[in-house]
Amino acid sequence: MDKPALDLGADFPSLLRRQGLLDPPAPVVSTRAEIVPTESTTILAFKFADGVLVAGDRRATSGNTVVYDRADKVLEIDRRSIMAIAGVPATAWEMARVLEHSFQFFRRTQLQEMSVDGKVRALSKLLRDNFGFALQGIGVVVPIFATFDAKVSPSARLYFYDAMGAQFEATDFAATGSGSPAVRGILYFENTWGEKPLQKISEDDAVVVALRALDTAAEADTATGGIAGGKNR
Amino acid sequence: MIEEPYRWVEAIATRRDYIEMQLATGSPVVAVGYVDGILLFTVGQQKLFEIYDRIALGAIGHPGDIERLRMAAIELASTEGFTRSAADVSLRRLAYYSLSPVMKNAFEQIYGAPFLARLLFVEIGATPADDLFLEVDYDGAIHLRSTNEGNRPFAVLAATKKSAEQMIEFLRKQFRVGKNLAETLDLALDSWLIGQLKADDAVPADDELRRQRSERLGNGTISAAVLERHANMAVRYRAVGASELAPLIAK
Repeated sequence: MDKPALDLGADFPSLLRRQGLLDPPAPVVSTRAEIVPTESTTILAFKFADGVLVAGDRRATSGNTVVYDRADKVLEIDRRSIMAIAGVPATAWEMARVLEHSFQFFRRTQLQEMSVDGKVRALSKLLRDNFGFALQGIGVVVPIFATFDAKVSPSARLYFYDAMGAQFEATDFAATGSGSPAVRGILYFENTWGEKPLQKISEDDAVVVALRALDTAAEADTATGGIAGGKNR
Repeated sequence: MIEEPYRWVEAIATRRDYIEMQLATGSPVVAVGYVDGILLFTVGQQKLFEIYDRIALGAIGHPGDIERLRMAAIELASTEGFTRSAADVSLRRLAYYSLSPVMKNAFEQIYGAPFLARLLFVEIGATPADDLFLEVDYDGAIHLRSTNEGNRPFAVLAATKKSAEQMIEFLRKQFRVGKNLAETLDLALDSWLIGQLKADDAVPADDELRRQRSERLGNGTISAAVLERHANMAVRYRAVGASELAPLIAK
């Protein structure tokens, strides 16, 4: 409860670190090891007429084995933001959890919602802290973050990140994971040559585009689960 | 000299008088159960706060002290909720294990500053019988208000003991199970007005109370928040909007 004379209160990750509940940032050691691309997944997001659609396949793999086909890769962070994850699940889910609590902690302590820029930056910081692990090839996470900013119009905002924490705002669409090259092709095509640009299509049409894109990604990428179920699923 | 037991007791008593005097102008806080959850109500500056998914706080006292205690409560609840789960965050433990000893200690260390604050925590459970109304006083004393199986779901925080008793007495008479938010806001405002009475004022009749509303409210702004029982969201706290409060002032 005692704290230095003046500060604005710690952010949530540093509060956790002070109590030993969150690992300190991994040291970035010089290594020649290559980053192992373990982002075996496909996640995509694009803006449509009424907002942002975020979708992902649900396959989790370990080497050549499919371990699980009900993995949640699209996670609700709060009422206004969604994070979709490609990468090592343990790290990614922990990140999502820290992020979710950080936003709430901020709202409760500062008595206002964290700004969109603040949220985007918070995720970037987590990725940056994780970079040491990413370099060791054991915790690469490449997320997509979608949120909305009620103060500006159009309000939907979409960001994708690299493993080092650089954030990029996407104007129309974003895709990451091992199946993303195919998806990016489809979304680019739909957006540029389709009947309407993605930002003008309805929610129903948006779902169709997303499912078709995922199906196409699964066709060529073993680490991406398809969308069709069997007769009994 | 303060080491002598008698002096110590005397110093504590003086300190108690001093704190009571400091708190004597505080605007009361009312917590009342209603059909969809629990309402927290007060008039004046911001002093209703969200602590965690199911826990809210109302306070009277010095803003700086309230802020320190509020931050401590949020930090404790948030780390607990993060390492375990939201369901494992317990108001009981937060108050008994963490806040009460710290406040008692500050109060009794007569060379240090005590907390000039009185806190009312509310926790919403799965059913009205599981709701918790818990008051932590400046000396660390805890009053746990039994909801009596959900039949008496209210608690107040007042500047003096007498107004607290009058407010509770009023709520005991007027409270009915199953009222909606608008009716409960009415009840809370009336109870707040009772809490504003001077020590020797008699409790006015209902219609008299209604007439006094605008006069006693003055320039004060009503603030109200609810913890909703069956909200679809994990976070049950919601500030009551201006449109929901408008009818109260119009009457």
